Amino acid sequence: MSGLDAVTAGGVLTRRRFFESLAAVGGMSLVLSGMEALGFSQASATELPPELTGGAKNTKVVILGAGLAGMTAAYELSKAGYQVQVLEARSFAGGRCQTARKGFKHTDLIGNTQTCEFDEGHYINHGPWRIPYHHRSTLHYTKLFGVPLESFVNDNDASYVYFEKGAGPLAGKPVRKGEIAADVRGYTAELVAKAASQGQLDAPLSGVDREKFIAYVVNEGRLSKDLAYKGTEGRGFSIHPGAGVDPGPGKELPPFAFKDVLDSNAWRVLSSVTGYEQQRTMLQPIGGMDQIAKGFEKQVGSMIRYGAVVEKIKQSPTGVTVSYKGADGKPAEVTADYCLCTIPLSVLKQIDVDASAPFKAAMEGVSYAPVNKIGLQMKTRFWEEKHHIYGGHVYTDMAINSITLPSYGWQGQKGVLLGYYMFGGEAARISAKNPADRAAYAVAAGQKVFPEYAENFENAFSFSWHLAEHNLGGWAEWGEAGRKESYPVLCQPDGRLYLAGEHLSYLGGWQAGAIESAWQQIARIHARVQQA
Amino acid sequence: MTFAYRLAALALVTGLAAPAIASADGKSLFNDNCSACHQVTGKGVKGAFPALAGSPFVQGDPKIVVATVLNGRAGMPAFKDDLSDADLSAILTYVRSSWGNKAPGVSPGDVVKARAAAKAAAKARGLQAH
Repeated sequence: MSGLDAVTAGGVLTRRRFFESLAAVGGMSLVLSGMEALGFSQASATELPPELTGGAKNTKVVILGAGLAGMTAAYELSKAGYQVQVLEARSFAGGRCQTARKGFKHTDLIGNTQTCEFDEGHYINHGPWRIPYHHRSTLHYTKLFGVPLESFVNDNDASYVYFEKGAGPLAGKPVRKGEIAADVRGYTAELVAKAASQGQLDAPLSGVDREKFIAYVVNEGRLSKDLAYKGTEGRGFSIHPGAGVDPGPGKELPPFAFKDVLDSNAWRVLSSVTGYEQQRTMLQPIGGMDQIAKGFEKQVGSMIRYGAVVEKIKQSPTGVTVSYKGADGKPAEVTADYCLCTIPLSVLKQIDVDASAPFKAAMEGVSYAPVNKIGLQMKTRFWEEKHHIYGGHVYTDMAINSITLPSYGWQGQKGVLLGYYMFGGEAARISAKNPADRAAYAVAAGQKVFPEYAENFENAFSFSWHLAEHNLGGWAEWGEAGRKESYPVLCQPDGRLYLAGEHLSYLGGWQAGAIESAWQQIARIHARVQQA
Repeated sequence: MTFAYRLAALALVTGLAAPAIASADGKSLFNDNCSACHQVTGKGVKGAFPALAGSPFVQGDPKIVVATVLNGRAGMPAFKDDLSDADLSAILTYVRSSWGNKAPGVSPGDVVKARAAAKAAAKARGLQAH
């Protein structure tokens, strides 16, 4: 069997089989064009900002929101000669690109006020916190603005998996991810290798080299010569190898029983390759994500009017007038030729916007994700000292979802870890608690994984994006109907009003989505100005 | 596409799609799941989260109300992955009969029907978002 016949073998046309079949029939270029057509191209489609050549013709653009979308637009448009005014509701730039460190103050919509009390040098990125290597648009600006990056550990074999709702002896016990991975893959490889060597897989293996296949499976599962999985040194040691004869070769940890691993559910954290958005290499700015915001602000800060809360957007055939309440509490107005609005739709839909009925109806077609994070300052880095875990995530089946150990400041005295990262209903539930109760909740969960957790806890800073004024949610979530019917409407301008932000991208919730959406819309504004 | 299934399909074992065993107390379910935004008073937060108390929408066609909670709309998140049919019916029955609201209750069967109509089956949640 080869080519397209094989694609539908078993009546199932999987995505991968589809691409493989294109390769078989038309070569790799056909695969690539097929992948691009389906939106699976190799990197975020736009790598560089649009070239805005030909002059700005004295055009004035008012930009609403000094997040990454707004500041990207301000930077590129002003460079091309446009007159730019940015209105920002907060007293600082960055939008969701925020970092909480000592003195950072936040009052949520239900009246909880927190001032971050982390020690100097410690922080939590309660908004965006990692940059995939293929988000070239974000990386374009970190390079351009000289924002130094470091590795964000997004996968760590030494980190724990804690699943308490499984069964068997591993349930409710922290187990290292690498041990689970070695065992479940080893045992699976053993089954497949034995079946193949006994000829039981001859039919499905028809046309491939059986011996090579077995060799691969032996290697994949680290099997012995008799095709058995008996554990492997890669899953760790009870006595580490070292000098002389003692410890000498050390003592390998024995594998768990296959049944115990399966019963534990811990295998749920494994898959052949990490999802596209979560792949290594993952990066973070040194010193906090807000270094990116500050990089932009250095360039466009003079164009930003802070503390300006937009109240009304009015259009005429020749321009746009934005009414806002200034930092002094007094009403004010800005008039421009065009408006680029990056206000989240959750907030924008409550503002008096002069737009067509279909455009306004489309704004209702999206929901916003409740998202919670909490930073917990610990007085020692016990996860490094006692557990030898340097960054990465502890996945759990508790409501906290995961704990993330910091990728900054290794081997320092203290550290701030991410005590929970929740979204959806779980986030809504926990955010109803006051900050002290949220912290207690997070600490109690972490204590189940690390016995040193509670005794090391010093202070916390929690943030709920759905309770943050000017955001009302972590990121836009388009359902199938919304993506099909509402999204395309909002990607188009309404009169002289253009929208941009992560919500108008397929990189939703990522900074790259905000940047690339801004690039797309300013290119459109510029093309219109050139034609006018 | 929501983050829940755009990610690696790493299902948690919380039994999201499992039917609830019994109809729990609507008030405590509301306070747990909804009050962060809509407040225990049902009055919401002005300019951010709409009031449920006295709301004609909330007391209107139960099909639309159920669909809104399941799928999300206008900034409100989708709860289809978080609430069982029984829990959602208990919550909506409570909301429609509290704070002066006087609309008939919503049965678990109503939620089942609304889920089917909207193809809003609960999905396994990924372990990681952004």
